[in-house]
Amino acid sequence: MHIPDGILPAQVCAAGYAITGVATWYSLRQINRRPDPAAEVPKASLLTAAFFVASSIYIPVPPASVHLILNGLLGVVLGYFAFPAILIGLFFQALVIGHGGLTTLGVNATMMGVPALLAYHIFQSRSVLGKMLPEPTRTGLFAFLGGALGLGIAALIFLALIILNIPAELNATAEQAAVLTLSVGHIPLALVEGTFTAMLVLFLRRVKPELLEG
Amino acid sequence: MGVASANTYIHRESVIHDWSPRLKLVSLGLLMFAFATVQQLALVPWMLGLAALLYGLSRLPMSFLRQRLSYPGLFILAVVVLLPLTVGETVLGQWGWLTLREEGLRATGLIVGRFLSILTLGFILLGTTPFLTLLGAMGSLGLPTLLADMTLLSYRYLFEIAAMLATMQQAMRLRGFGHSHQRWLRVNRHTMQQLAMLTGNLLIRSYEQSERVYKAMRLRGYGQSRQVAPAPATTSPWFSPLALHNWVLTGAVLVAAVGLVFAEMRLA
Repeated sequence: MHIPDGILPAQVCAAGYAITGVATWYSLRQINRRPDPAAEVPKASLLTAAFFVASSIYIPVPPASVHLILNGLLGVVLGYFAFPAILIGLFFQALVIGHGGLTTLGVNATMMGVPALLAYHIFQSRSVLGKMLPEPTRTGLFAFLGGALGLGIAALIFLALIILNIPAELNATAEQAAVLTLSVGHIPLALVEGTFTAMLVLFLRRVKPELLEG
Repeated sequence: MGVASANTYIHRESVIHDWSPRLKLVSLGLLMFAFATVQQLALVPWMLGLAALLYGLSRLPMSFLRQRLSYPGLFILAVVVLLPLTVGETVLGQWGWLTLREEGLRATGLIVGRFLSILTLGFILLGTTPFLTLLGAMGSLGLPTLLADMTLLSYRYLFEIAAMLATMQQAMRLRGFGHSHQRWLRVNRHTMQQLAMLTGNLLIRSYEQSERVYKAMRLRGYGQSRQVAPAPATTSPWFSPLALHNWVLTGAVLVAAVGLVFAEMRLA
């Protein structure tokens, strides 16, 4: 779910870089408010590399397989480090496997990173919004929401960008039908991503709870 | 996932290799954006020609471009197959239920042209500049220190973590993972649980390694007040052959970028 070079007009690419700049500035400002931001850099960096590597894991759904995006999980685990982590991960993907692109790096980072920050806030709100629920249901449910919405919102942004920008000759009815069909098609993927995130977060909660402190 | 092929730098003697990394990054970046503004099919050959000229000047082998184009080429293949058959009103030809349309064909030409040109410039940048040099150039252009540190550390441990995952996956397969029969279009909950635990283990191992890395970095002074690196003893004069070649190349690429944008505005 990366937009390659050449698809989007320059104005959209520039807007993507502008939003990425603001989101990176905001994330770095939040990180620098912590008592010792330097102490968290190695943890965030190695987890960035681990997430990049883990994105190659596929869930088999015969006869095909489902590729995980993991942006919601990144938000849940890394907190405000999620946006810089996604930016770096996408830069590596453009560099290493030609996945995505350099002109569309800002757009792709916005598409994946903003929902990741949202997933972080959803997961953090579990102690307020989910105080009526027992543990571990509460953690599992909010992790599911973070994972599913992280992918769901990223997919909506992706589809909107693709359909609105190419091609101009496509009529409005066809556009609406395509958006609706593709959006509905992404619901099962969001459910799979949410379930996977919930399973993983519950596993981390049992084995290494400090990883969920955000 | 191809992590092992990250070393994109290819050593050659060329003007592009000798180009100052900072000027190269800015110039090629602006040219990529100029390519992204092109909406007129008439400009596509110019764009492809410019990209080919720069690739020729870089003396990078064609096999490098072919190899790197193979993955993103799949996306473009989908565009090439779908757009001419689905978009537009002007029918160029019809074979049964297949209809070739002019508007779709033009859109395909434009997208493929922009895609190939921008990607070629990206590969020139990465193929002629070592990754660490590129990162240094980004730092000198204002990349925040925290982002630069994170990029460096992630890059440093990327291959170790990829090897760790490969070992873990091999161990899973040796214990019978993936051999059970699975029904079509069904997600097996047990399989998903195992994969979630695999990913979780990868994160935990990386986290534990990061704690050891941080302790080692602290011992070497990381996080203390930063010392400003001394300026190099000699700087190249403005009119040395190297500096002249840098400015000529930068000027030529910027003129080409502005020219393309100007031509696009005139033709539009």
